[in-house]
Amino acid sequence: MHRRELVAALGAAITVPFLPRSAQAAIDIGERLAGQPDVPFRTLNAKQQAIVSQIAEMIIPRTDTPGALDAKVPEFIDLMLTEWATDEERGKFLAGLDQVDTRSIAYAASQPDASVTTPPQRFGELTGAQKAGLVNEFDTVRGDNSAIGITFGRLKALTVYGYFTSKVVQEQILKEPMFFDGYKGNVPFTPAV
Amino acid sequence: MPPMTYDAIVVGSGISGGWAAKELTQKGLRTIVLEAGRPIDPNVDYVEHVRPHELRYRGMGDRSRIDRYQPVQKQCGACNEYSGKFFVNDLDNPYTTPDDKPFSWIRGRQVGGRSIMWGRCVFRWSDQDYEANARDGVGVDWPIRYADMAPWWSHVERFVGVQGKKEGLAHLPDGEFIEPWPMNVAEQHARERLIEKFGGERLVTNMRLAVLTQNQPANGRAKCHLCGHCERGCITRSYFSSLNATLPAAQKTGLLTLRPFSVVHSVIHDPKKKRATGVRVIDANTRQMFEVYGKIVFLNASALESARILLNSATPEFPTGLGNSSGELGHNVMDHIMGGGATAELPWFKDRRDIGNRPDAVYVPRFRNVKTRHPDFVRGYGFEGRAYRVGWERGTDMAGFGANFKKSLIGDLGPWEMTLYGFGEMLPNHENRIEIDPHLVDAWGVPALRITVAYGENERKLFDDMVVSATEMFEAMGATNIRPIKDDNPPGLVIHEMGTARMGKDPKTSVLNKHNQVWDVPNVFMTDGACMASTANQNPSITYMAMTARAADFAVKALNRREL
Repeated sequence: MHRRELVAALGAAITVPFLPRSAQAAIDIGERLAGQPDVPFRTLNAKQQAIVSQIAEMIIPRTDTPGALDAKVPEFIDLMLTEWATDEERGKFLAGLDQVDTRSIAYAASQPDASVTTPPQRFGELTGAQKAGLVNEFDTVRGDNSAIGITFGRLKALTVYGYFTSKVVQEQILKEPMFFDGYKGNVPFTPAV
Repeated sequence: MPPMTYDAIVVGSGISGGWAAKELTQKGLRTIVLEAGRPIDPNVDYVEHVRPHELRYRGMGDRSRIDRYQPVQKQCGACNEYSGKFFVNDLDNPYTTPDDKPFSWIRGRQVGGRSIMWGRCVFRWSDQDYEANARDGVGVDWPIRYADMAPWWSHVERFVGVQGKKEGLAHLPDGEFIEPWPMNVAEQHARERLIEKFGGERLVTNMRLAVLTQNQPANGRAKCHLCGHCERGCITRSYFSSLNATLPAAQKTGLLTLRPFSVVHSVIHDPKKKRATGVRVIDANTRQMFEVYGKIVFLNASALESARILLNSATPEFPTGLGNSSGELGHNVMDHIMGGGATAELPWFKDRRDIGNRPDAVYVPRFRNVKTRHPDFVRGYGFEGRAYRVGWERGTDMAGFGANFKKSLIGDLGPWEMTLYGFGEMLPNHENRIEIDPHLVDAWGVPALRITVAYGENERKLFDDMVVSATEMFEAMGATNIRPIKDDNPPGLVIHEMGTARMGKDPKTSVLNKHNQVWDVPNVFMTDGACMASTANQNPSITYMAMTARAADFAVKALNRREL
């Protein structure tokens, strides 16, 4: 059930109408892809990369443990946009992303910082407080049907998923074992928050 | 090629074919198992310990490839980046449906069949189930009852290794259980609250599960280590499958020949002897057709495939399909109906967690039409479920960001949640059928199926009631944030296809007799889902296994009496 919900959150349609086709054997192009080394960014341009990287690191920053950039989350997002997303999903994601700088300019105008003399032209030029305020605005529309809501919803889901499924987090933070000596259903737990 | 002659031919190596192979070889028959798909090498093909970062899409799947080659199979959650290779290529394995009656035919063509990815939940039936058709005037009466089956369930349960808790329910009889995993603290609490509110009528119990909780050294199987992803295979052979258990047992006898890449086209019939003499097979690699001969034939290719073979075996005597003098072959297709239920938050035990990844957890046995009659529908449903703490996945749609957000996802587990997901009975209906599509063949040139199946009114009412009763149960236990589930699944997607060659008491209205023999061709046996005259609401695999062992016992005795 969880995986299904997650897949839905990431934007995949679960069921498609089935249209039977006449038989034709041809398969196994998939293995061609497995195990390739990291690829350069293929979908996100430099400007988009900068926004994705900054927001991903704001969602999961480096603290005493690795952050989103350490876990190569932007690279994962680019991979999913390039090879996994449909044209429509990719288009919507990028359309919302391309509004971020405009929103940044407007946000800076409405929440000016007295110490800044040149008005910012892009997200990266906002002050830390402005960035946090704007991302907080994005978070309140997360997943709704607005351009920003769609993009931020997917960006957040992909950031969290990409972070927690990364090698560094799996091996250094989660360290979930594969072998258990029986099931234990009532173990004391104190949250570390 | 020299003639290939065996005592017994088994078509299919899945959950029932594996049992046919084991029982027939252990009773001394030289047996060939013909499997349409490829061999599986557990050392290479099992991927249960692969981490998400070792996969290109971290488990999300190679979507463009899956969309293209597995548009049907991908509807099953287990057809993912890890286990998609255990599901067929839909382009090679086509079928048609009417536009307004979608049917999701989920298949696994390889040694082990779908027993590699099956759900592992195993339940006995009761006489309430066997008597239901006669009582409701639906379909045909079963020619067998609980007493006919009980020793055979025991026989297979002891070999399979079934964990479960004895509850003493008349309508869901206990089996030969090994110690189950405990319920977790939230499930146990849910059980107690429901017993208080419903007096035991609605009961949360341990799932009855074909997964070992103790070692079975004699069969080379170790107890489960709870890695949690059975559908990816199991190198310790802890869950039951043909590959993990029955085929190795058959191999030990020295009497088994297992031939992969063997697509059975049809059964060869001798009209003078009124017996099958063997099967026609297409080698999946060379596309060459050849024949295999045997004294008896067990069709264990799955409900739809086994019937398809007989439909493709028409003769002048049987122009609509071998064994079809009743006109019921291919009819009365059933599945279960699933997808009504609810998810809720359990506001308890935030200071407790569980450790270990159970593949399945708890079960709510049927409670509708057990002691009292429901005014709106007949039969009933059960719920599969579990309580769990959500973990980091909740972060994909959780408010907040930054250091505290991260800390919460790493250091806390979120609330306990519980899901109940209903599985209900489907009534037999002559109009729900398969037939040979005159315009379509599969990749091996075998005429393919047209499938015409739809849920009826009773199923829809069961489905709606699942949502209502799951919500009631969560309300009764004091759960919060209750979210109804209404997954509108097409038939087929429960992957419990049944009924295409139903058993009965009368050769005029059924295809098989009470020994799973084809009335018209008594040395052909069908012991997969094809034989079912009704579905009950329980998951069916252990019943196929028991039915197979029972039929194999009968077949060998009849052979020895020279009756076949």
